[in-house]
Amino acid sequence: MKEVKRKEFYVFSPFLRIFHWIMVVMIVVLFCTGIIIATPLQSVNLEPTYSVTYMDLVRDIHFVAAFIFAASFVLRIYGFIINKGDRLFPHFWKGYFYRQTVEVAMHYMFLKFEHSSFLRNPLARGSYAFLYVLVAIEFITGFAMYYLVNPNSVLGSISNWVLIWCGGEMMMHLIHHYVAWAIILFAVGHMYMVIRAEFMEGESEVSSMFSGYKFLIHNPKDASDSDQSGEKHLI
Amino acid sequence: MDKRESLWDLYLRKGMSRRSFLKACVALTTLMGLTTDQVSKVVEAAETKPLPVVVWIHGHECTGCDESFIRSAAPLASDVVLSHIDLEYDHLLSAACGEPFERHLDEVIQKYKGQYILAVEGAACTKDNGVYCMSGGHTFTHLLKKASANAAAVIAYGTCAAYGGIQAAKPNPTGSSGIGPFCGSTPVVNVPGCPPIPEVMTGVIMHVAMFGTVPPLDGEGRPKQFFGNRIHDTCYRRPFFDAAMFADSYDDAGAKAGWCLYKLGCRGPETYNSCGNIRWFEGLSYPIQSGAACIGCSNATFWDDGPFSDRLPKYGKLGNADKIGAAMGAAAVVGVAAHAAASVVQKSQREAAEAEKKESR
Repeated sequence: MKEVKRKEFYVFSPFLRIFHWIMVVMIVVLFCTGIIIATPLQSVNLEPTYSVTYMDLVRDIHFVAAFIFAASFVLRIYGFIINKGDRLFPHFWKGYFYRQTVEVAMHYMFLKFEHSSFLRNPLARGSYAFLYVLVAIEFITGFAMYYLVNPNSVLGSISNWVLIWCGGEMMMHLIHHYVAWAIILFAVGHMYMVIRAEFMEGESEVSSMFSGYKFLIHNPKDASDSDQSGEKHLI
Repeated sequence: MDKRESLWDLYLRKGMSRRSFLKACVALTTLMGLTTDQVSKVVEAAETKPLPVVVWIHGHECTGCDESFIRSAAPLASDVVLSHIDLEYDHLLSAACGEPFERHLDEVIQKYKGQYILAVEGAACTKDNGVYCMSGGHTFTHLLKKASANAAAVIAYGTCAAYGGIQAAKPNPTGSSGIGPFCGSTPVVNVPGCPPIPEVMTGVIMHVAMFGTVPPLDGEGRPKQFFGNRIHDTCYRRPFFDAAMFADSYDDAGAKAGWCLYKLGCRGPETYNSCGNIRWFEGLSYPIQSGAACIGCSNATFWDDGPFSDRLPKYGKLGNADKIGAAMGAAAVVGVAAHAAASVVQKSQREAAEAEKKESR
């Protein structure tokens, strides 16, 4: 048996991890119910009196999931405030972010043999920022559609502006639908990249989202950027 | 007409009773979409406010809105035109024509400066200096600017006047647009619809006439009392939607049984209008009730939001967004698999190179 020495780095706070898994479940629920809302399955009932209000139920699940998803950002932001390791966005304003992103991208395009190791892979972090933009579009259009049931309410009149920005209700529905597909495409790439990093590059990208720790053989370039106090919690 | 009459003056002159006047006021209140506690205000306005002078002009359109208007049942369009408003100029309904008629328009604009209501049907045509829509020897945009500058309020009747309508559909060869940009600082009420519901048309003009102000408007400048709800949320077929009972084609049992037309591309969920509440022709029916899916005729770009028979637009042979999305998802999975294979090859190459390096040391 080969013995390797690993160093531990505390990266993800519990708030971020819980948020992440809520997001995973909610995106799946929202996407599935959303597809059903756009293309409903025919009810087998022939008599409305005895039918279950199945479309109503699907819509309610969609709305509840949306509210849980939106509320879970509270966890994310709270974790960001109290935990040094959590980042809402990558450091766009620093030049090295772009150099490192290019380096990682070169490796993924097979133009380089490898890229230097990071606790926070800059290319991945950039893609998460992109995901937040997609999610924000879904929130804005989705809640606008929801609150426009009563356009006279306060939130309804705010939603009216969203309607104007989108260029009409029809376009708002289409944007909501198309961006949902974009999120699913992101998820395919994301799952592949983290599994690849975990099992081919030894970056513990998957396990750290459960444990919060990255156990690495090598020393990542941004090692100084992790919460060292986390080590104390390890027995 | 030097001294302008109020509605009450008119009733007195015609020898009609106070009772019938009050009944008319109650009817007007409901028509304007107001609650019954507003009746006293309406009575007060009807007693004191002189009948409004209305100038009604027509641009790039089919005059279908007029066809709708003259079918208003409560109040009767004839009542509105002959007794409730003082219609001084109308391209379609006026018997006069020619130069005296155009001179009359100029006189009305001067005489009732800042007091008359300008009702506009039809889009403003802008391309090539607006030559594709001429009226009285001038372009329609010229007439529009002239008439709206001195108006108390502008009412844009129909999707054409509000947003450009069918002329503005792609590729919009005449550069048509809604009339809003040509009205300067004069308040504009958008009453979209192709055509608008007759009672909505009369209701809006009576509101402006009675209160001298435009009704409460939403973000798109539409009166809230008539465009405050989605058709989907007021549709009598909504329970069928909630129960997932849909017509799949226009000739199936579901369509015959009057089930929801959502799958046939009904635009009810995307359209704000009163069709579900007021319906058409004294509540006789509306498109969905007669078995046809809503096409969203009061939406700004509804001509381009096709096909009307599908929920999602189709992109040629590729199909709709769901098909494209599923195909892209499958392609992503294949691409990921290919990338994984290539990564394995690269890793083995890298390790071989590293081993070679060690050996050479």
